[in-house]
Amino acid sequence: MNHWLSLIVAAPAVAAALLLVLKNEQKLAIRLVSLVGATVSLVGSLVVAAQYDRALGGFQMLESFPLVPSYGIHLKLAVDGWGVALLLLTGIIIVTGVLASWSVPKRDKEFFLLLLVLVAGVFGVFVAQDLFVFFLFYEIAVLPMYLLIGIWGASHDVKAAGPFKYVWKRFAVGGKEYAAMKLTLMLLVGSAAVLVGMLILWNGSGARTFDMQVLENATFSRTAQMWAFPLFWLGFGSLAGVFPFHTWSPDGHASAPTAVSMLHAGVLMKLGAFGVMRIGMVLVPDAAEVWAPLVGTVAVINVLYGAFCAASQTDLKYIVAYSSVSHMGVVMLGAATLTPNGWNGAVYQMVAHGIMTGLFFALVGLVYERAHTRAIAKMGGFAHPMPAVAAFFTLACLSSLGLPGTAGFVAEFLVFVGAAQSEHWWWTIPGVLGAFVTAVYVLRACKSIFWGPAPKGEYAHLQDAQRTEWAAPLVLGSALVLFGFWPRFLLDSIDGASATFLSRVVTVASAPDMETNK
Amino acid sequence: MSSWVHLLSLDLAVVGLAALVMLLDALASLRGRTIGALVVAGLVGVLIASFQIDVTGTTPHGAYVSDAWVLFFKRIFLCAAILGVLGSIEWLDRHAPKRQAEYYALLLFSLVGMLLLPGARDWVLLVVAFELMGVPLYVLAAYAKNDTTPGEPKLAAEAALKLFVTGAASSAFTFFGLALLVGLSGSTSIAQGAQMSPLATVGLMLVIAGFGFKLGAVPFHFWVPDTYQGAPTPFVAFLSVAPKAGGLAALSVILMSTGWVGAKELWAPAIVVISIASMAVGNLFALPQTDARRLLGFSGIAQIGYVLIALAAATEQGLAMALFFIAAYVFTNLGLFLVVHAAAQDMGGHGIAEMSGLSRRSPWLGGALLVFLLSLAGIPFVIGFWAKLFVFLEAYRAGLVVPVIVGIVLAVVGLFYYLSVARQTFMAEGKSDEKIHAGAPLSAAIAVCLLAVVVLGLWPGPLVESANAAAAAFLGGR
Repeated sequence: MNHWLSLIVAAPAVAAALLLVLKNEQKLAIRLVSLVGATVSLVGSLVVAAQYDRALGGFQMLESFPLVPSYGIHLKLAVDGWGVALLLLTGIIIVTGVLASWSVPKRDKEFFLLLLVLVAGVFGVFVAQDLFVFFLFYEIAVLPMYLLIGIWGASHDVKAAGPFKYVWKRFAVGGKEYAAMKLTLMLLVGSAAVLVGMLILWNGSGARTFDMQVLENATFSRTAQMWAFPLFWLGFGSLAGVFPFHTWSPDGHASAPTAVSMLHAGVLMKLGAFGVMRIGMVLVPDAAEVWAPLVGTVAVINVLYGAFCAASQTDLKYIVAYSSVSHMGVVMLGAATLTPNGWNGAVYQMVAHGIMTGLFFALVGLVYERAHTRAIAKMGGFAHPMPAVAAFFTLACLSSLGLPGTAGFVAEFLVFVGAAQSEHWWWTIPGVLGAFVTAVYVLRACKSIFWGPAPKGEYAHLQDAQRTEWAAPLVLGSALVLFGFWPRFLLDSIDGASATFLSRVVTVASAPDMETNK
Repeated sequence: MSSWVHLLSLDLAVVGLAALVMLLDALASLRGRTIGALVVAGLVGVLIASFQIDVTGTTPHGAYVSDAWVLFFKRIFLCAAILGVLGSIEWLDRHAPKRQAEYYALLLFSLVGMLLLPGARDWVLLVVAFELMGVPLYVLAAYAKNDTTPGEPKLAAEAALKLFVTGAASSAFTFFGLALLVGLSGSTSIAQGAQMSPLATVGLMLVIAGFGFKLGAVPFHFWVPDTYQGAPTPFVAFLSVAPKAGGLAALSVILMSTGWVGAKELWAPAIVVISIASMAVGNLFALPQTDARRLLGFSGIAQIGYVLIALAAATEQGLAMALFFIAAYVFTNLGLFLVVHAAAQDMGGHGIAEMSGLSRRSPWLGGALLVFLLSLAGIPFVIGFWAKLFVFLEAYRAGLVVPVIVGIVLAVVGLFYYLSVARQTFMAEGKSDEKIHAGAPLSAAIAVCLLAVVVLGLWPGPLVESANAAAAAFLGGR
């Protein structure tokens, strides 16, 4: 029995605890401790990816500790094929995120502390095998965001709408505080729905346990399932940006500081999609099959609506944020197909989009720090002063629109194949259309920011990436290409888990008939 | 006689401590913080003794029972008193140096009433204990009559009067209800019960209403925010938790007793209505508050609503989780009030706006405040989360779906105002950057609460087990 999983989860938490004893003035020490904590987790994730026995599949590296025995709550950690891929994604994003926030302007200690706590929660979700502990880690991952955006975010014009006008009145101090509160409240309403769903399962199984493997084998009454699934779908879905519960995402991501946007769009939204698939679809399979048409149709709306919204934005961060809404739609679409290809594509899209959007936000942060504007109309020809940034941004754009050779292509292709194979083949059409609109808006944004004649005046002497700022573009950029050319590295393990899980949901031959890119 | 006196040894020890405090004040005229230190030491001694000596048993005629249930509550009350006294030491020394002994003596007498409550199995003993708990609190609420934070109105007299008038009214309700019940059953034993009749229903509802006042449950909640705002804050820290635990003990002793648990079709819906109303009023009225103490008052009303859901489940596990909840609430709310007290001393008031920049002026107070707020809001890895979760689980299992859903939705509303306090302390710019120095006893009390909230939040198992044991002991021995 080895303890790599607890090490991965504990390393950021321990680093956060260490930060408590440091002083705010010890800037370098704070950063180094954070970096070491994050790196230990990344190394752990790599070791897990290497040690995970793909031929054997299933759950491996099990660790268990009783937390509240009388309620059947155990701190039970294990990793499956999806977990391997998502741990690796989280590790990559947090290390580059720490490096990208090297220049955080104020209250450094608290910033890194919250960032590390958050990421410990994310790691925990991906390895938790107890529904309850899953939920615990999920909340830990969601909540620090409030302070991270509220304190270190960027204020800008946000239009308050709907029920949030009340919030706005109380907090009409700056856009970031509005965005932070909106994000927290919407996600917490989602958590409340998830909690009710969990109660239904806990009660319905009659086993007085939250152990996910026990719950997987329990049979729930049809009524319980029909109630539980939508709760999980909308509850976790609010974090995955499911239409119409995505509205926190553009405001939140646009207001958040660079590393937080990277982590939130890159990893946290995946928690939502992961929750819908791992909890919603696998634990209540009958209802998942019934609800799948609606899930897929809403996902298609996400893809198109997100893409069109992104196309009409003038603020760079809003473009990237809406593109996340659109891309998360692809994930949900893949999940709704209930086919091996669709599910592999969905999980692969989580990884691909995580890395790509992490790269986007890192670069946008870089540009913003130098140009102090995010309005694309004011920018132009930035490739002249900052060629490296321009090159990597273009790479991210290409992955975003699904160019072969990038990770985005593998993911989207698998999802669209899955959609075509599913009972609702027509989902493919709006899906592909969404990819086309994506091409329009990312290329337009890329063109108007970076290409064209060299900028004059205040933008003439923008600096290219410096020192630690290189980390995010280099690591994330190469990961995009690596996963684009060698999808097998992750797909093998993902496929094993998808097949096992899917066999619970639908009784189909689980052999994937598409051996794309392998 | 000697065969049962040992059952009351802990209670008698506290009575002795109270007498000692008054004697020492009269004879030795102690000044400074000595008396406070003595009281804390004495109470810690009693708390330790509660783990060391065997006090289980039943008095003749079963009027008083001492078992795991009673001990669970006694330890909660003792912890609350110790922390409350620790928090008061400096304030008393500074603001009422010559009236310290009375303060402690009154608090100890109130504590004796609480200690007797959970073991009472006779209406007379129960009511006497309940009044003994309540009467000293009226005096204590007026303790800051001539002394307020500069810039804030003097509200102590109003606070005490509201507490007293509603308290007296609630006693009247209780007595009237009891007169009916005892008359119908022909016995003062609670376990005797009565044939259900319209008159018995009226009697039971009046008794519930009477105890509901002390709990601060809607519609008997009007005194809560005003008293919290006007009474001295370190005392409110104690008032906001211990009597609520006392009210819960009294209500459970009555409703879950063999005499009345059979009538749960009658009282459970009433408790559900009270609980939903408390959660709704508490959470919604907390939203517009600008004074931290009033906000915590309404939040306390809401929290009581959550406890009552568990009680309304009328099951052994439900009762156990009500105990767990109240234990969690004691540490969280006490700690929170003490932080507000510590901050208000240096920041010029109890308004939420005055709290701005707290995290910068004292990172540890700011951090503690955040943890307590998160615990009240029910956020994972602090104890309040488990408390809410277990309450919801048990209520859901008992079929109370509507209050659970209402509770969960309102918990999100709660998060909004708890976060708005956190926002003020963490994000808003303060007026000055001067450090805040809370004294040693106050800091120690806050640290103990913080430790309990975090450690039990990480590993709630032991407390759950002991709450289960307590509920099992009560239901097994009733």
